[in-house]
Amino acid sequence: MTTLWILFLTALAATFVGFFAPARTAKVFALLGLVAALVSLALRWGEPFSAYGGLYVLDPFAQGFTLVMITGGLLALLADCDYFQRKGWPPFEYYALVAFAVLGGHVMASTAHLGVIVVGLELLSIPLYALAASRRDATSYEASLKYFLLGAVAAAVFLYGIALYFGATGGFVLGAGGSGPVYAAAVMLLLAGLAFKTALVPFHWWTPDVYQGSPSPVTLFMATAVKAAAFAAFARVLAAVGLEGPVFYALAALVLLTVFWGNLTAMVQGEAKRMLAYSSVAHAGYIAIALFGPNPAPAMGYYLLAYALSTGLAFAVLTQLDEGRGVRLGELAGLWSRSPLLGLGWTVALFSLAGLPPLVGFWGKYLVFLEAARGGQYLLVALALFAAVIAAYYYLKLLGAALFAKAAKVEKIVLSGSTPVGIALATLLVVLLGVLPGLGFGLFTAANALVR
Amino acid sequence: MIHVLIFLPLVFGLLVLLRPGQARGLGLLGAAAALVLGLVSFGAFLDGSSGAYQVPLLAEAGVYYAVAWDGVGAVLMLAVVITTFIALLAAHDVPPAMVGLALLMESGLLGILAARDLVLFYVFFEATLIPSLLMLGLFGGSGRVRALVKFAIFTLVGSLLMLAGILAVRYLGGAPSFLQADLLAHPLAGAAGTWAFAAFLIAFMVKTPLFPLHVWLPDFHAENHPSGLADVMGTLYKVGLFGFFRWALPLFPEAFAAFQPWLLALAALTALGAAWTAYAQTDWKRLLAYGALSHMGVGALGLFSGTPEGALGAIFLLAASAVYTGALFLFAGSLHRRFGTLDLRPTSGLAKSAPALAALGLILVLAMVGLPGLSGFPGEFMNLLGAWQASPVWTFVGFLAVIAAAAYALGAYQQIFHSAPDKPADDLDAFEWQWGTLATLVIVFMGVYPKLFTQALQPAAEALAALLGGGR
Repeated sequence: MTTLWILFLTALAATFVGFFAPARTAKVFALLGLVAALVSLALRWGEPFSAYGGLYVLDPFAQGFTLVMITGGLLALLADCDYFQRKGWPPFEYYALVAFAVLGGHVMASTAHLGVIVVGLELLSIPLYALAASRRDATSYEASLKYFLLGAVAAAVFLYGIALYFGATGGFVLGAGGSGPVYAAAVMLLLAGLAFKTALVPFHWWTPDVYQGSPSPVTLFMATAVKAAAFAAFARVLAAVGLEGPVFYALAALVLLTVFWGNLTAMVQGEAKRMLAYSSVAHAGYIAIALFGPNPAPAMGYYLLAYALSTGLAFAVLTQLDEGRGVRLGELAGLWSRSPLLGLGWTVALFSLAGLPPLVGFWGKYLVFLEAARGGQYLLVALALFAAVIAAYYYLKLLGAALFAKAAKVEKIVLSGSTPVGIALATLLVVLLGVLPGLGFGLFTAANALVR
Repeated sequence: MIHVLIFLPLVFGLLVLLRPGQARGLGLLGAAAALVLGLVSFGAFLDGSSGAYQVPLLAEAGVYYAVAWDGVGAVLMLAVVITTFIALLAAHDVPPAMVGLALLMESGLLGILAARDLVLFYVFFEATLIPSLLMLGLFGGSGRVRALVKFAIFTLVGSLLMLAGILAVRYLGGAPSFLQADLLAHPLAGAAGTWAFAAFLIAFMVKTPLFPLHVWLPDFHAENHPSGLADVMGTLYKVGLFGFFRWALPLFPEAFAAFQPWLLALAALTALGAAWTAYAQTDWKRLLAYGALSHMGVGALGLFSGTPEGALGAIFLLAASAVYTGALFLFAGSLHRRFGTLDLRPTSGLAKSAPALAALGLILVLAMVGLPGLSGFPGEFMNLLGAWQASPVWTFVGFLAVIAAAAYALGAYQQIFHSAPDKPADDLDAFEWQWGTLATLVIVFMGVYPKLFTQALQPAAEALAALLGGGR
């Protein structure tokens, strides 16, 4: 309850402060608010709590996913300043909207009521449509429009699923159980609507354009917090309906399509943000593979944390290089000599995304594959592992473009504002949680209460 | 002490990366400290102290930080600390970051050898790849990116398959954790065991390497930094035979028995084919890469025989070849320093102007050829002795490879040092005297007193052979 209120007040405060004070003040409010929300979570960690007659359920599952979202939000706030210091960027609305989106994600994760999920989903999405456009140039507007139109379709699909669900079960609360063609159709529509936000193939078409066109810090936020929120709802719906019959095959098809299509398409991209967009599509597949296990929540939560830190770190580095047209691979050359911190962060992030130990990404992969193996899906695991090799290829390509190529530009990159703090912190966490995996995983082991 | 030994090079490696100005001093200090600790640990091991230690790393998933020395681990550990020290002594003119990365690799290698938990082994095995890739990518030659991608993809395909095998071996076998003892107590038999063995097989075949998964090796060596430091660390990183010895064979004796005839054939053909290819090389590093590959084939022939002699010989050969192959790569670095090329053809008749250089080259080449009294001989001999008991035919093929070694290695030596016309070259400088003397001492010691190492290896080799049913 405190967490919800803190997030709500943070969003409001960041908004109103922005009217009177410089954007920096809004940023301080938003940062402090998110940290306070984190503290309020930590104080009650592992204790389930519910309010409003069960509409708001802050169980360990929701706590774990909220932790990931706040982490993503903090990274997005810390790494907001770019090297080019464009005039008017970031606007104060950036901080307020990020805070609102975290609130929306938190609501979405903390309920089993479909109506409340929709409220959370919209509270998450609408700020993002605005954020995607916040750089105020053609590509930014294009990204926003695409995201908005396709997001509206997905929301409509989800709402249609709710309507059918109500028709089949007579209620809006997940877990009512049901059968028959209407119920099956309802479940498929609900999952399809959420698969859009999680960017599972074939519902991922918006991802590359939106990730590439949005300002880089916004992309960072989309790739981390939004994915966590969407997966929270996805996992809840799936846990409630059970993984049987057509749902099982549908999920297996989604996972395989996602890991292969995401990774294969990423290979041929020439632009770093687009490549990472496809990489984030592929990672959605790895997260979803945990759903085949008997107790997927801890592995999913841990994977999301690992992925949020690594991919967030990668986008934070790209923020410094992005002039608004994305970052061609050639522009990465000489990164290490231009800024050692960026070079280190980039190296660590990519090795972690590729799943090499001793970085946190390895343990994420290890745990989700373990979970699927526990569920007996060895073939699926083997195929997903094979896709991970393809992924290693383009992560090496990204790494090579930054480290191994001759530098065209040699001028130093001077990091400004809180950016170096964000990048250093994320780098440290990726390494630390990789060396001591129990430290991170321990947070999520309580989260088995809800998801089967 | 075992933890200090494993992680001390890591600490020094990071220090070197932070203080590149003092790379030489810090690097040598770190490698020397590891050498001393390694020698002390080996002494303690001979006195019966394995330094065993375990603590949960990820308790919920049954992963432990569990380390201990056994005979195999201790002997190879010694090879790693000695060879790394020799290499850092020799590499006085490399970029500072390379020294740091070499020390990071040393840490990873020691972890690979000490790990007693399969997931921990995998973590060290994969983590070592990172500095190895960075060394190749940052300091390699013009074709480095191609070589790097080849190396990375081969390694990752193998190790990710192995990861699937690791999960299968515990969950299908029903072991409560990934600890070696638990896994051995819950063997995975039947078809699942065969599949899991195949996954391990591919991973370790890449890292031995064995035909046809050796394709990455020549490019890896040819493109790496000419000083030879990266090649030495890469040679030490070829832990496939150790992986078979420690994990793949004991975990799947049944599946191994089914594969054995094919594996013997593969090992023998690798040995002969690589020797044949080495003979045609005109680039020092490619020649050495194929020569080392041929030796690994001989080692694999011994190990796959399933006999105590063969298993012992394989590990002895692995340890010995780490030293002499590593030293040969450093020797290639010395030639590159003088002529700016690794091509054999333009250099000729150096023995007149650089007799000490020629003598060092001769000792290293003879060790590689397997001359009795030098370190190459005991391992090769025992390998063939063991292999003969399993398959005389393939052993004969292995013999041919050993003979061929004389042809390609001595041929190259003759070309560089004794053919006309005489070309002038500087003789050994102070650095080369230092590392050359040290390497020679180690090679001679291993050749004349192999008992120090074989007595440490004997119990482990006999236990493995007993598990495999003697291979007959």
